[in-house]
Amino acid sequence: MGCAGEYPGIPSAEMLDYQNHHTYGSLHRLATAYGKAINAAIKADTLHPGMYADYGVTLALMGHQGPACRMLNAEMNAFPESRPMVTRLKKQLIPEMMGDTLCGLRDTVNLDQLASWAYDSLTSLMTLPNVVSVIDSSDTAWLHRQTPTDSTERILRLTATQKRELLEQEVLEAERQKKARIDSIAAAKEAQIIAREKAKKEQATAREEAKAKQAADREQERARKAAEREEAKAKQAEERAKKAAEREEAKAKQAAEREQERARKAAEREEAKAQQAAEREQERAKKAVEREEAKARQAAEREQERAMKAAEREKAKSAKATEEEGGEEQ
Amino acid sequence: MKKRLHLLVILATIALAWGCKGEKKLVQYNDLYRERPAVIYIVPIEDKAEHRAQREVDDSLYNLSLNAATQHLYMTASAPLVYKGYYVLGPLATAQLAATETRTLKQLRNESINDYYSDLGIDAVLFIKVTKWENTFNSWSVDIDYTLRAAEHGTEIMHTFVHATKSVRTDFRGNPLPLKEDLAFAEKYGCDIETAQRCRLVEIVNEYILSDLPSGKRSRGTVIEPHAKTHPEYFSLCINPDGSIMLIDPPTEL
Repeated sequence: MGCAGEYPGIPSAEMLDYQNHHTYGSLHRLATAYGKAINAAIKADTLHPGMYADYGVTLALMGHQGPACRMLNAEMNAFPESRPMVTRLKKQLIPEMMGDTLCGLRDTVNLDQLASWAYDSLTSLMTLPNVVSVIDSSDTAWLHRQTPTDSTERILRLTATQKRELLEQEVLEAERQKKARIDSIAAAKEAQIIAREKAKKEQATAREEAKAKQAADREQERARKAAEREEAKAKQAEERAKKAAEREEAKAKQAAEREQERARKAAEREEAKAQQAAEREQERAKKAVEREEAKARQAAEREQERAMKAAEREKAKSAKATEEEGGEEQ
Repeated sequence: MKKRLHLLVILATIALAWGCKGEKKLVQYNDLYRERPAVIYIVPIEDKAEHRAQREVDDSLYNLSLNAATQHLYMTASAPLVYKGYYVLGPLATAQLAATETRTLKQLRNESINDYYSDLGIDAVLFIKVTKWENTFNSWSVDIDYTLRAAEHGTEIMHTFVHATKSVRTDFRGNPLPLKEDLAFAEKYGCDIETAQRCRLVEIVNEYILSDLPSGKRSRGTVIEPHAKTHPEYFSLCINPDGSIMLIDPPTEL
């Protein structure tokens, strides 16, 4: 995990801050950090792809169109494979500077500063065509003549003083050529601007038409979807009503069944009660008869006992009378 | 003597490369070697773990932490590719380009992206999709899906799905105990420890996956690189508290 926590060319803390907050302050901090990172990268010879482009985007977002254009041009020159992407970025962010490949440079840096900066970049990166094309990219013929291999070899052969002199000469030559061509470039730019405006208008008209068509399509689609939704809703409501009716019917049927069951059970209960009452009556009558019989039996027994006792008494009386009569005779 | 030492080092490197577990890079990245892209464009992260917003809707800190980690994942994706010698535009410029894209990420993933090649000179487009975030008692987990598509033909030239887990030491209350690196990260980025740990997790995963790609045109690359072993297409990795990485193959949770 060699580079964990170190990101080449990306001030990650400021970037995360900007991504989370999207404020002007965070953007400003990000731009400052990018500037420092680029300076450090140039010094350490570790310029990574995308650094200039990101810095350019931050500057453009802050409203500094000149420096932004300069940085985007620098990216294109340092990494030629980025040209289509950066051109698209320029078109998005600074469309008014599309044809300008040197914007803002002369306003911000004087020639001596430019030469010294270019020299430092040159000695660290050994990309002479890139730097010189930043100085004057309108001189494309010169740029195409110089291939990176040629320039690198030439630089390796020259001493530092010779390199500086060579660069100053080239800068002066470029400046002279630029002054001489300024009128023709201005005219060309004007023509470009007019053509661009025309193209923009055409594009805008086409866009408007496309938008209108898309809007109409969207409306149609929306209406169709709404109708489908309504239809689906009606269908659902119908389904729901049908189900509710079925439920009601089932409920009524169940209630009737329950009533019938209840009546049947009540009748059974009544019948059982009547049967029980009759049984109880029979039992009661039977018991009464038994009681009467027992009473009669007891009365008969008592009568018998009474008769027996009376007979015994009579017998005893007669025996006594007999004894008395015997005594008298004696 | 020096020559012998050089020879020994080369032999040891070759032996290590052959001895490691996994498939050869030449086989795993066959399409990538054939296409040889120079410019890679990273589309904004597709965060499919959005359901957390509904589940943890009140836990704004948790959601912020995950969002920050996703942003960090996006930012740190370009660094390993740059080191491998590819041209990658910075995150801000990429986001600016992506702002004008009318197609959805799903459409970009499935439909033709030839316009990226013809209009912007991009050779390959990298799609990164976060599928799931998970936190258990003492670990943070994330599922990330990396897909690289050739812009010219629309073919998929690299696809890796990783289930990464970072083990975290916790105190007796269950709060995560930060490492020194986590503390340094949190201090530098001005975030809390949990966010720092999640950010470091995605950063390490990015580094591990993207550093493994074959070298780009800007890098010189070694002769033995295509024969070096690499990780499988679907795998799990675990980052231990001491920072070491343990590859779990085959993945248990996929």
